[in-house]
Amino acid sequence: MNRYELGIVDTRNIIKTIQETYNYNFKNYALTFFKRRVEYIIDRYNLKDADNFIRRIRDDKDFFEIFLKEMCIESSEMFRDPSLWRYLKDEFFPAVLKKPQQYKIWFPEVNSGEELYSLLIILNTLNMLDDVRIMVSSLSQIHLNKIQEGYFDYSKMEVNEANFRRVFREERLNDFYTTKDENAYLDNSLLKNIQFTKQNTIFEEYPKGIKLILCRNQMLYYNQILEERLLKSFYNCLVPGGHLIIGANEKINYWNSEKDYILVDKNNNVYKKKLS
Amino acid sequence: MYKAVIIGGSAGSFRVITKILQSLPKNYPLPILLNLHRLKHVRSGFVEALSIKSNIPVIEPYDKDTIKAGNAYLAPSNYHMYVELNKKIALSTEEPVNHSRPSIDLSFITAAQTYNRNLLGIILSGANKDGAYGLKKLKDAGGTAIVQDPKECEVATMTNAALNLTNVDHVFSTNQIIDFLLKIK
Repeated sequence: MNRYELGIVDTRNIIKTIQETYNYNFKNYALTFFKRRVEYIIDRYNLKDADNFIRRIRDDKDFFEIFLKEMCIESSEMFRDPSLWRYLKDEFFPAVLKKPQQYKIWFPEVNSGEELYSLLIILNTLNMLDDVRIMVSSLSQIHLNKIQEGYFDYSKMEVNEANFRRVFREERLNDFYTTKDENAYLDNSLLKNIQFTKQNTIFEEYPKGIKLILCRNQMLYYNQILEERLLKSFYNCLVPGGHLIIGANEKINYWNSEKDYILVDKNNNVYKKKLS
Repeated sequence: MYKAVIIGGSAGSFRVITKILQSLPKNYPLPILLNLHRLKHVRSGFVEALSIKSNIPVIEPYDKDTIKAGNAYLAPSNYHMYVELNKKIALSTEEPVNHSRPSIDLSFITAAQTYNRNLLGIILSGANKDGAYGLKKLKDAGGTAIVQDPKECEVATMTNAALNLTNVDHVFSTNQIIDFLLKIK
C-alpha cells in the first residue's frame, strides 16, 4: 500500500516538467491514475517526495525510461478472458483469413508480451502466422526490448498455463517457452512479420489499412478526451469492416459512436467499423 | 447525510450480501458499491446470482460509468475498481494488492477520498485481511465504519483484521446492518 500522497499541484508540476523536458504529454491520462502511479514510483525508487521525483526525472534520462515503463501497465496474464481467445481461434480468424490477403493487425499500446504472444500462439496453431503483418507500438522501450527477448515473469506462468488450458484444452503452454535463471522465455521465433515502434503519448503517424486493432484495457488509463480521440483515430486506421477488440469492461460510447462502430460480439467485446 | 455505501467481503459473504440486496427497496436512495473476492476466471454468473433476489439492479460496471443512486455496482472479476472524484467508476489491471484483484482496500480508499464523511463502509465475513486498511482510511476521512459481528461470520479473519486496525462505529449482525441501511434517507 502506498504511504506517500501526492497533491494535485505537485501532480500538475510533474506533468509540466515531463512535457517541457521530454515533450511527452500526460495531460490526458486519467488524473487519479497518473497520481497513483507517480506515488508508486516515489515509494518503489525511494524518492521520498515530489521535489525529488521532479529533479530525478529532469536530470536522468534513464530514469525517465523507467518512469515510462512504470506508467505502462503490463497486461496481467496471457489469454486473459479465455473465451475471447477461444473465439478468435475457433471462429474469428478461420473466417477473416479464409482467402489469401494482406491482413494487417495493430497493437497500439503493447506493454508486455502477454497479448502479443497469446495472439502469435493462436495464429501459429492455425498455421496462419505467415498470413498476417503485425504492428506493435509502445511508449516504453524497456517493454519493447523484453517483448523481443520473449521475457516473462516466471511467477505468472501458472496463471498463463491455466488460461492456456481453457483455450486449447489438451495442448500445453510448455511447448512454447523455456526457463532460465528464474525467468520464462517465450519462443521468440514466433516474432515473424512484426514491426516494433516506440511511440510518444501522441501518435505522430497512424498506420493505414488496418484490419484488426487489439487494444484491451489500455484506455482505462486515459481520460475521456484521449479515449475518444483514440477511438476516432482507430476508426480512421481501420478499413471498412475492420475489427476493434477492447477490454471486457470497456465500451465505445462517444457522441455518435454508433455511426462509426457496431458491436458484433457482445460477450467478447468485438466491434466492427461500419461499412460507410 | 450519506451519499454512498461500500461493502467488502470474501469467503462467507455471499449469503449476507444476498440477504442485504433482497431487503433493500427498489429506488434505494444511495448507490451501493460491492467488492467481493471471487474466482477470477468465472467472469459471468455472479452478477446473475446476486440479481435473482435483489430489488435493485446489480451491475458490473464498465470503465468510466457514472455512479447512480439505486444501483449496486459489483467490482468486475480481475479488475481493480476505483471511485473517481467526479463520481465515475475507474477500472484497472494494475498489480494485485495483497494477492487480490479486485482489492477491497483500493475501492474503499478511493471511495473515501470522493465521499469523505458521506460514506458508509461495511466489512463482512472473509478469509483474508483485505479491506482492513481501506476501512481505516474511510474512518479517517470521516465516514461511518461498520463491521459484521465476527461471531456471526462464517470466516472471521477479515472482520477481526478490520476491528484490530480501526475503532469502528458499529459491530452489527446481518439484520442490524439491514435495519441501519433501511433507516437511511
